[in-house]
Amino acid sequence: MTNDRPSPPPLYERLFEWFCKENAFDELQGDLEEEFQQNYRKHGIKTANKLYKREVIRMMRPSVIKKLKSNRQSNFSSMFRNYTIVAFRSIARNRLFSSINIFGLAISMAVGLLAISFLSEVYSYDKFHENRDRLYRIVTDLHRQNGAIANYATASIYTGTRLATDFTGFEAVAPITKGLRGNIAVGESSIPINGIYTNNDFFKVFSFELLSGDPSKVLLEPNEVILTETTARKIFNRIDVVGEVIRFENGTQYKITGIAKDPPNYSHLKFEAIGSLITLQEKNRSVTTDFGVIWSSYVYVLLPEGYSLDQVQQNLDRLAEEENPKLVYWTLSMGLQNIDDIFPGDGRYNQFSVVMPKEKVTSVVILALIVLFSACFNYTNLSLARSLKRAKEVGVRKVVGARKGNLFFQFILEAIMVSLVSVVISFLLFNVVKSEFLSLDLYIERTLTLDVSTQVYFYFIIFAIAIGFLAGLFPSLIMTRFKPVNILKGASSIKTGNGVGIRKVLVAIQFALSMGFATLVVMAYKQYNYALNFDLGFETENILNVDLQFNDVDLVKNQFSRIPEVTGISSSSILASTGSSQSNWVKYKDRLDSVNSYTFDVDYSYFKNMGHELVAGTGFDEGNDQGKIVVTELLVKELGINSPFEAIGETISYFQKNWTIIGVVKDFHYGTINDEISPFVFTSGRQDHYNINLKISSTNIVETMRSLDEAWRQVDQANAFQAKFYDEWFELTYQEISASMKIFSFLAGIAICISILGLLGMAVYTAESRVKELAIRKVLGATLSNLLVLLSRNFIVIFIISALVAIPAAYYLYQETIVADAIYSIELGFWEFGSGALLIIIIALLTISSQTMKAARSNPAESLRNE
Amino acid sequence: MKGTHLGEFQEIVLLTIMVLDDNAYGVSIKREIKTRADRNISRGALHTALSRMEEKGLIKSWQGEANKLRGGMPKRYYEVTNKGVNALKEAKDVRDQLWNEVPRLRLQHNYG
Repeated sequence: MTNDRPSPPPLYERLFEWFCKENAFDELQGDLEEEFQQNYRKHGIKTANKLYKREVIRMMRPSVIKKLKSNRQSNFSSMFRNYTIVAFRSIARNRLFSSINIFGLAISMAVGLLAISFLSEVYSYDKFHENRDRLYRIVTDLHRQNGAIANYATASIYTGTRLATDFTGFEAVAPITKGLRGNIAVGESSIPINGIYTNNDFFKVFSFELLSGDPSKVLLEPNEVILTETTARKIFNRIDVVGEVIRFENGTQYKITGIAKDPPNYSHLKFEAIGSLITLQEKNRSVTTDFGVIWSSYVYVLLPEGYSLDQVQQNLDRLAEEENPKLVYWTLSMGLQNIDDIFPGDGRYNQFSVVMPKEKVTSVVILALIVLFSACFNYTNLSLARSLKRAKEVGVRKVVGARKGNLFFQFILEAIMVSLVSVVISFLLFNVVKSEFLSLDLYIERTLTLDVSTQVYFYFIIFAIAIGFLAGLFPSLIMTRFKPVNILKGASSIKTGNGVGIRKVLVAIQFALSMGFATLVVMAYKQYNYALNFDLGFETENILNVDLQFNDVDLVKNQFSRIPEVTGISSSSILASTGSSQSNWVKYKDRLDSVNSYTFDVDYSYFKNMGHELVAGTGFDEGNDQGKIVVTELLVKELGINSPFEAIGETISYFQKNWTIIGVVKDFHYGTINDEISPFVFTSGRQDHYNINLKISSTNIVETMRSLDEAWRQVDQANAFQAKFYDEWFELTYQEISASMKIFSFLAGIAICISILGLLGMAVYTAESRVKELAIRKVLGATLSNLLVLLSRNFIVIFIISALVAIPAAYYLYQETIVADAIYSIELGFWEFGSGALLIIIIALLTISSQTMKAARSNPAESLRNE
Repeated sequence: MKGTHLGEFQEIVLLTIMVLDDNAYGVSIKREIKTRADRNISRGALHTALSRMEEKGLIKSWQGEANKLRGGMPKRYYEVTNKGVNALKEAKDVRDQLWNEVPRLRLQHNYG
């Protein structure tokens, strides 16, 4: 009888155990069981089970169910205080680990703060417009005959006018064009104005405010202007100027009919003045009358409530269909873009102002996340490694009655406190690196200020709490899982393997990131240097290029030639190898296929001055060079002429004119390293020269520049002397590489800092926790190097794995980004691939061995004396 | 009425405990009510009543022996306190008085 007693349904039994009050549990559970057994004997298992279940369900009443909330709340605040105190004590007791954690988090959180202020600023653009959901910009796609499509942010004013007059379904249409430009004389000086033209609907479509003037009556008449507050103050020193007249220096006059509030910082539309569009329309300028003139005008529309985008799109398509036959070289199609999609934007051409590309935003976020995770790993790692030291505390707390939830809360709270301390430090760092970050990139520099608003401070705090939670999550989960019985029996009985695997993975990820970034920096740096020092096939050293600014070439040359440091002078229409270009088709005899060839115009001394080597024939003369042309070897080859010498005297057709080849020069790089060497022709005296190339040989460059400046002022007093050495030009040309190099080295620095900090913590911990083992080994005869190897072996394996992951990843990134467009790039050898990783491994090993040495050097008697 | 007011169910439980004398615990109380009053009550409802009455001091309880039939869980025995007995008596008095005041005719009529 005793053995074959059945047991009640286990699920219900457990359910009851779960919800029943502890003080009533024994009695009730016993009664339930006894009744169950009686029922079993009387009615059989089925009925007994059924009755048991019913009983359990009916047990769910307030007198039986445990009271969860009231129990906890009663001592919540006191426990909270206790947790805070314990957290402070634990932070204070482990100064080294805490400072590693706090500092590591602070560094990476500075990046996080950058990203947050960056994002909140980017996404606050244009948010002040009230009807954003109905506010659209009309954008234009230009389809060329060869199938190429160019996306423009613009649309013709004609389109705007037609939409307003001939189509329904638009509540307001505001065509805008730039070009209200000129100087206004104020006393002695003149104030430049840069404004827009638009119509009366402007104030319906947008939420720009008028300080004075009636928004329904402005911009209706020709030669009307609305000034912004700032502009008005600049010109009149006051803002009650409605009804007065401003006069541009070119004679045109505008009547002021309103004063507008300055457009907010975060508006992609910025202006200093608004002129009435009808001023232009009256003059029948093509910009207002031609469907095809889309280059610098914009059309914004406000759609009515409950609009249908399809309907509007159909209207746009119909308009394009009507008008496209008038266009010759291409056709246009139009689309709608919501105001929210303008900034950050999708890289359309001819934006109203600089627009941050969406990819830039994504990449900033991704890079920030990488750095942040890396720092969270540190916290996780160190907390896990040191979790044994907290084990006793966990055990005691559990025995005294702490639930898992309590302990979890405690450890998370500790992590959040650490991260709140970090965020304060990181805010200081943030202010230090802010200006550097702003200058990192053209888009960032032009569009953002990274000023911190109250809202952003709020984000910072939320962010700190989130990071604390994230960093503390894993160690908290592990530590709450400790079994009190095991802990209190003695620390040796707990498995020390808690989270060792995860720790290794986290360290590996950190080091892979550091190595990856370091490798990228090395590669980018080499490529950048390569690009700067690339042998273009002509002399670039000590060549100073002077911007002529429309002055007479000979006059300026004459002035410069008097300066002794100038050893050579030449002039050209374009600067070679700096990115600008001009090309056409070269035809030769009756050959059908012509050769595309780049060109610019030079003077007779250009070849000698710039070190171009003549292969055959002669260069240009000082006299009449009409109809004469100098070509490169490659062009000769591509035209099918056997040798440079045979080419001399041949006639080719270029720009619909015939030219006689008088000389052949060696090939050179006309473009950047992103272009292949291509055929080239030089002409002389054909067009205006905009540059003077001075060959300088000077020991005191500052002095030379001063005398050049003086010489320049003899000719032109109005414009400042503008000159750049070729080196500076190249730096500008390859700015993109240098920008990504900066970003990568910034990140590499941070990633390396964080991972070395983390490693230092781990090394300290390992050395400390194995101090007895090391002492025994030493007593038994192990040498210092034996011990070093013993302690760093595990790490070395991790480093090698990290390097194996990081280097190919870095190579892939390098190929995809830095040299994606380059035709000429460095050859990657062992040092390019390996030096980044090697450097980090060396730093890491030094870090580890510094700690190991300390442990290994200590007197074994000291560490073995106790216990 | 000062003192305690007994609910109908509480009264029955109290009386049952007194009937059972020194064998009054959850299962036996439940069984007794079932046989005497033919009422199927849930153990949970009984617990509610018992704990409330214990709070008021009408009954007291002590932990008893465990046995295998109960899965090793101890019984809890209940005993009516003097206060409980008084409360029962009070309730009985009230009823008796009321019964006495009911006109005989009406009674006959009703039962007749």
